Amino acid sequence: MRYVVLIAALLASPAYAQSAQGDVAVTIYNDNLALVQDVRQLTIPAGRSRQEFPDVSGLIRAETVSFDAPDTGIVEQNFDYDLLSPAKLMEKAVGKVVTIVRVNPATGLETREQAKILATNGGVVLQIGSRIEVLRDDGLPVRVIFDQVPPNLRARPTLSVTVESKRAGPRPATLTYLTPGMGWKADYVAAYDDAAGRIDVQGWITLTNTTGTNYENAEVVMVAGQPAQTVTQYRGNQYDYERQQQSSLRNAGTESGTRARLGDYYLYPLAQRTTIANAQTKQVSFLDVQGAGASKAYEFRVGWLQTMSDPQSADTVLKFSNSKAGGLGDQLPAGVVRVYIKDARGAPQFIGENSIAHTPAGSDVAIRTGSAFDVKVKAVMAKRERISSEEWERSYRYRIIDSATSNVRTVEVQSNVVYWRTTMVYTLTNARDTPVTVDLVQAGLNQGYWADTRAVSETIPGQQISVEDRRYSVTVPANGKTELTAVFDTRY
Amino acid sequence: MGRALAALFVLLLPLVPASARPIVVSPGPEALSVTLYRDPYRGADEGLDSDWLGGYALITETRTVSLPAGESEIRFEGVAGGILAVSAIVRGLPGGMGEKNRDARLLSPGTLVDAALGRHVRVRRTNPVTGAVAESRAMIRSGPDGVLLQSAEGIEALRCSGLPETIVYDALPEGLSDKPTLAVTASSPAPATASLTLAYLARGFDWQADYVVHVAPDGRTLDLFAWLTLANGNDESFPDAGTQAVAGKVNREDDDDEPEPVSSGIQLKCWPRQTTSDIPSKSAPITVIGGEQFFQQGTSRTEDLINELPQLRAVFSQARQEELGDLKLYRLPGPVTVAAHSQKQVALLQRSKIAFERLYAAAVELGSPDEDEQPMILLRTRNVAARGLGLPLPSGRMAVFERGLSRPIFGGEASVDDVPIGQDLDIVYGESPNVRVSHRLVSEERKVGAADDDEEGWTRRKYEVEISNAGPAPAEVETTLRLYRGIRLADLSRKVSVKTGRRLWVARVPAHGRATLTYEILPSVEEKDDEEADDGES
Repeated sequence: MRYVVLIAALLASPAYAQSAQGDVAVTIYNDNLALVQDVRQLTIPAGRSRQEFPDVSGLIRAETVSFDAPDTGIVEQNFDYDLLSPAKLMEKAVGKVVTIVRVNPATGLETREQAKILATNGGVVLQIGSRIEVLRDDGLPVRVIFDQVPPNLRARPTLSVTVESKRAGPRPATLTYLTPGMGWKADYVAAYDDAAGRIDVQGWITLTNTTGTNYENAEVVMVAGQPAQTVTQYRGNQYDYERQQQSSLRNAGTESGTRARLGDYYLYPLAQRTTIANAQTKQVSFLDVQGAGASKAYEFRVGWLQTMSDPQSADTVLKFSNSKAGGLGDQLPAGVVRVYIKDARGAPQFIGENSIAHTPAGSDVAIRTGSAFDVKVKAVMAKRERISSEEWERSYRYRIIDSATSNVRTVEVQSNVVYWRTTMVYTLTNARDTPVTVDLVQAGLNQGYWADTRAVSETIPGQQISVEDRRYSVTVPANGKTELTAVFDTRY
Repeated sequence: MGRALAALFVLLLPLVPASARPIVVSPGPEALSVTLYRDPYRGADEGLDSDWLGGYALITETRTVSLPAGESEIRFEGVAGGILAVSAIVRGLPGGMGEKNRDARLLSPGTLVDAALGRHVRVRRTNPVTGAVAESRAMIRSGPDGVLLQSAEGIEALRCSGLPETIVYDALPEGLSDKPTLAVTASSPAPATASLTLAYLARGFDWQADYVVHVAPDGRTLDLFAWLTLANGNDESFPDAGTQAVAGKVNREDDDDEPEPVSSGIQLKCWPRQTTSDIPSKSAPITVIGGEQFFQQGTSRTEDLINELPQLRAVFSQARQEELGDLKLYRLPGPVTVAAHSQKQVALLQRSKIAFERLYAAAVELGSPDEDEQPMILLRTRNVAARGLGLPLPSGRMAVFERGLSRPIFGGEASVDDVPIGQDLDIVYGESPNVRVSHRLVSEERKVGAADDDEEGWTRRKYEVEISNAGPAPAEVETTLRLYRGIRLADLSRKVSVKTGRRLWVARVPAHGRATLTYEILPSVEEKDDEEADDGES
């Protein structure tokens, strides 16, 4: 019979009860933002009542909460963050009666007394019967037992809604709110086969939860896009100059993706309900494509008309298209692409990673995985001379009308134009046993915002891709080198 | 009756709710492969920092698990503490994979209280005199920063009474583990034993090449030897692992967006300002993740190299180089144990009788004698088979030893960046005490402009650069002549070549002799236009 009682006790008080959450649906955006919809079954009495909502996000943006239940109207919504602590409890008990339990240090005997708390300023002053004492001033053990917790103090910040209901009874109540602390990105595993010119791409949605709350058995949808938020927050890498220069998206596509859409955003729903635990990183597969076309390329960017002290390695770039024809045929949410190739024994090895922005289908993607050990570029400013020019340019000419006399004068401002002629020699070396082609970009041609830079002569024809950049496609033989000489005239 | 009760207990005992999938624990790998990558932000001249290893590794493990039919959760234990969970790849599951989770809620006194908030626990009090132990049920009302308990008696704060008391939990709450855990959900059509491959990137590793250069007694050839030094700063060891190191620059992105492990202690907070409490507020035990690390070999690299010198002539089993796309992969000859908090060295490469020239490299700033650089000793060769080299040289530091009377003398330390085959290799390892440059203003001629400003004034300055050689052998000295734009040069007394965009004066200075160069500079008429512009050097 004793056993039965024990079991009954265990069953009656399960160690951990269920969360107060109801039917939870979470919509997660990229930029550390989630929309939580929580449908709870509430028993609401008729008239005015206050409903509390424990187990909401610890980072809830309380001002975004909306509450909806049939036959009820909202009177007010409160977010209380006066937290319960021993000190708060004592402060709120001033003027109230507590129970004091003393334990005799010699005999171990307990004595109980009722005490009234008079003040808590720098120490607790008690009135016991007709005498006044300071709590634990003698250093002896004393238990203080309070009757109740003051109504406004809570263990965690708590959302409460005061409602006016037309009727009594249970009904579903929908709570929706925005919370930071949840976000997602994509992680891609790209297995590249150089000989076949193919990649296998697996895409994973990675979502993280640092809201301090678990979302039990939730329906989850990821939204690819970054809704504008007025809340200031840190956006990593936004000002990373290097990344802006070397964006992975080379040519934005115009194909429509296959996914469900919401306005301009793509949706990635999870197939099954899942629990998103606090401090969890969860990954779910969303893309698995075998044998899409891909190729490797070498790129190098010379930042300005410069002399490099040492040869520098060209970038190794993996290029592919996410068009239907290219084999991927899907838009790619922003994330990190990790590239693997097989080593001599057939084991996949990591060769580098790079991030991509939201990439519409049909785009040309170039992942810079790292630098080539064997392919190097050295740019040298071989000559820089001033061109003696007799040319004078009419830089400015404007008219002034004198309003008093209506006379018109024409003013000419003349200035001497200075041209510089710079000879650049680029030496490209290749220690590989196969020929390579390097896309060499001479950047910084828009010198001092003088746009009239001219390429006077070049040993390999270049292509002006912008006022800033000129591109050369340089083939370097196996175990050999190629020299490219280009002459630029600049204003500065 | 008793048996039925026992069965009931078995049903009750599992600590996770029955709704969860069965958990399959994979305690550790059977086979391992570790590929190390160098810290991408560490320069060739920087040694690895054993307190903070900025490189990483790709760890590939083979594990065998027994899967039940239907859905199950596989937990991978014994992975590197520095695991980058988002990079994990699992292959070999018979029925595919559902989701992949990394939980970072750690089991700690604070998270226990947090998880038990609003739940029932037991409070155990020990009478300090009689030793009698009394337990009572209570509910946690707040915590872990100041714990309040509610029992049948009323509300009390934990351990503010000065009496021995503690919280006893009935069970472990779900989702707390001893370290961040990687788990995947799998579904198998039938019970199966599966051989899985788990591959992931992990922080807290690094490697480098450490070169030892011995100049032969004849002064014409040198012997080159390199160690592959690898280090593991994780708490986990990787026994009998196939080990590789990858040379070349590999791009990495920020990887700090995984949630930080959550753990804390219990903060005891008692009455206002605690002046009447004799229990000091105990600070929370801080869980340091990947913090303090110590190494078995803590000596500086140079010291190591000197100590290891006598072995250099021995025959090594040496790493083998393979191509890996545009990178170089070095495979260690056999399985090795990459132990926790340790550093290991294996022979990377060895070449002897490499032909080289010894020369001296100086740089002078024309017109500004204060900014000169004194000659550095330089061993120049070319990474080609004809000169005894002709193999990729990964970046690292080089310790140069010269011949001494009875034993080698440490000459200095140089560093090289990745050197592909065919490229020039300059080993610059120290300032020469014998070969010096002096650069001085010899004469100055000034003409003041006329008072009516019709004629501008000018200044001609004459300078001399002199190289002296106190050594017993002739010295080949290459002096770079830097010239800022806007300065006009005249009457250069020596032939100056232009090599890769810079003016170079190459002089052979006889033993105990001198070589001199004189020049004049005139202020440029265009000086005003050329302010801010320099030689364009990077």
